[in-house]
Amino acid sequence: MTSVKNTLSRRTVLKGAAALGVGALAAPTVLRAQPAAVKIGLLQPMSGFLAGDGQLASIGAKVAVEEVNAAGGIKSLGGAPIELIIGDSQSNAEAGAQATETLNDEGVSIITGGFASGISTTATQAAARYDLPFIVDTAVSDAITGRGLSNTFRFGPSFSIATTIALANLQRLNDAAEDKAKTVALVHEDGLFGSGLAGLMQEKLPDMGFEIVEVISHPTPARDMSNVVLRLRSLNPDLIIPSHYYNEFVLFARTLQQQRVKPKGIYAIFGGAASSYRFVNEYPEAAEGVMDCNHWGMPDHPATAKLMQAVKDEGTFYAYNTPTNYALIHVVAQALEKAGSSDRAALTETLKTQDFDPTVMPYGIVKFDETGQNQNALPLNTQVQNGDIKVIYPEDYAQAEPVFPVN
Amino acid sequence: MSARDLFPILPVLLVLAVLPFLGLSGSLLNLLIFMMIVALAAQGWNVLGGYGGLASFGHAAFFGTGAYAAAILQTRYGVNAWAALVAGVVLGSLVGAFIGLLTFRSGLKGSYFALITLAFAEVLRIIANSSEITGGGAGIVVPIDYGFENLQLRDRRFFVLLAVICVGVGLVITRWLDRSKFGAYLIAIRENEDAARALGVNVMNVKLGAITLSAALTALAGVLYTQNFLFLDANVAYGPWISIEALFAAIVGGLGTMFGPLIGAVVLLGAGEITKEFSGGIPGFDLLVFGVILIITVAFAPNGLAGISLKSFRRKTRGHTARSSRDGGADA
Repeated sequence: MTSVKNTLSRRTVLKGAAALGVGALAAPTVLRAQPAAVKIGLLQPMSGFLAGDGQLASIGAKVAVEEVNAAGGIKSLGGAPIELIIGDSQSNAEAGAQATETLNDEGVSIITGGFASGISTTATQAAARYDLPFIVDTAVSDAITGRGLSNTFRFGPSFSIATTIALANLQRLNDAAEDKAKTVALVHEDGLFGSGLAGLMQEKLPDMGFEIVEVISHPTPARDMSNVVLRLRSLNPDLIIPSHYYNEFVLFARTLQQQRVKPKGIYAIFGGAASSYRFVNEYPEAAEGVMDCNHWGMPDHPATAKLMQAVKDEGTFYAYNTPTNYALIHVVAQALEKAGSSDRAALTETLKTQDFDPTVMPYGIVKFDETGQNQNALPLNTQVQNGDIKVIYPEDYAQAEPVFPVN
Repeated sequence: MSARDLFPILPVLLVLAVLPFLGLSGSLLNLLIFMMIVALAAQGWNVLGGYGGLASFGHAAFFGTGAYAAAILQTRYGVNAWAALVAGVVLGSLVGAFIGLLTFRSGLKGSYFALITLAFAEVLRIIANSSEITGGGAGIVVPIDYGFENLQLRDRRFFVLLAVICVGVGLVITRWLDRSKFGAYLIAIRENEDAARALGVNVMNVKLGAITLSAALTALAGVLYTQNFLFLDANVAYGPWISIEALFAAIVGGLGTMFGPLIGAVVLLGAGEITKEFSGGIPGFDLLVFGVILIITVAFAPNGLAGISLKSFRRKTRGHTARSSRDGGADA
């Protein structure tokens, strides 16, 4: 017994010694290959009414961090890994500023995210106090990059970029159709997002050859859309252009379906619902044929399938937040690579002056202009076809021909 | 009110004023500013709800008016920030007087008063969300232009100082309520409105005065919010969050006490921040703690945290009071 024990223990000792030896040999290499991690802050609403969006964004960012680290980290920094530190903006503006302060205390080199316009406004301003570069992901308010903060960049399209493209695509869609839409009804929420869009449409649509038959506004949140839909039913417009937030859009689309209102098309701008798999999965019939012009990743990019799977593994539904934040982390990694430093000022300078390789977002080369706006940011037009979300415009990324008129 | 009455206030203000200069991190400074803003709003709430017994659910109406007035006057009309501060406070108190005039004339009290104030705040929120002058749903961004004359301080330690001074004003006003005839009238109305009227208190005027004063303090908190965050939208300004935080802080801290709202704001927001630190990143856990603190306070310390300290103080001195009041009738 004793001898067996001894033999075993001797073997173990030998094994241990061997392991130690290998370890000792490898250790310097490991040490050289692992300089201090570069901290990247991700500011997202992880709690509160936007928590779903924050979760989707963080999934994308985490996948990107894994990829960057698996590929050997930041080579110009001796293979330094990147570390993601998530700040919770609690879906409100002042908590966003507070979370930014905390991220700064933690010593992050750069912050990405923001998601909503209000949160991004206070957060970029808080970061500006520390000359901490901040790349906003999807918040669209033109004011974010328009107030001269030198630390602030925006990856996605602004409100004015997106609306211009959305209207141009609408024109093309209609010109290509045999049975053209002539009458339009605008249904919008009465906040600035909805009324701003509606005002813009009222100005532009008549020049494009559309007749606006009705403009209906409603508050957010709205509990009932029956009156709105009954009015639309009596007017029977060819095209409905809604602009509201996710919940109202779902309610509106479902009420349209229940009341059997069948326009030639529903064309949303930043509709939220028509580019969310949650809506498509939960209400496939109401969603069928709905078009949206919104942030969206390139469908045929290899990362898209991977991200969709990652989102599925987390038990939730895919939306644009995931690819946007995934791409952003890759842009940050490129910036770190080019700057060869995790210094904030160096990063800001790199972001201002350099170009970045294309990502999963359909932006091509990423280049920030003097205001910090990514000049090549582009929204995509999607349409729900056979229970799936397909890109219809622009042709470079299109997966399917637009179906128009739908009914 | 004599100078001696102000003695307890001084050390507290001194501590708060020195605190930011002890090398606090940016997030702690930010938290301190936010604590002072909430404390100020809660002090406003306390004047009406604590001293007057008129619990409002709609102090956002005053907070938002102060905040919007400051933002709109600066961005649209180029008014100097300090003048906008005064205007914000005046407009906020006018809204208070207006709501007071309507509700007190109809003799609304208790839950009816609470609901009406909530309704006013909600109506203002919806108007602000859709009208052009408030920037609608996109809100207002005040351009960054640091400088004392613009009430935008690059060094936030001085903004903390400014906020502490405002809280100091709130403390002095509350102290004055404790000592003045007006305060006595107000407390009399809280205890028994009919009896107060029978004793010759002009109930309407006193209540109106209270709501105006209350609104002014809360509007000042709104102006500070605008100047610190430089961004406003309808949900920030008129949203129910500030009505609730003002009310929570005052109730947890101690209704109708001088230090109650300040203690409440510091404890609630501080506890929230500490839990965020220790909850291991579980989102929303701090809000849970927030709720638990409220439940515990209401259940076990109905006079709030200030009430606990007051009670223990009284207990310590009870022997003395009991002896001295033996021949002087009942001990309050």
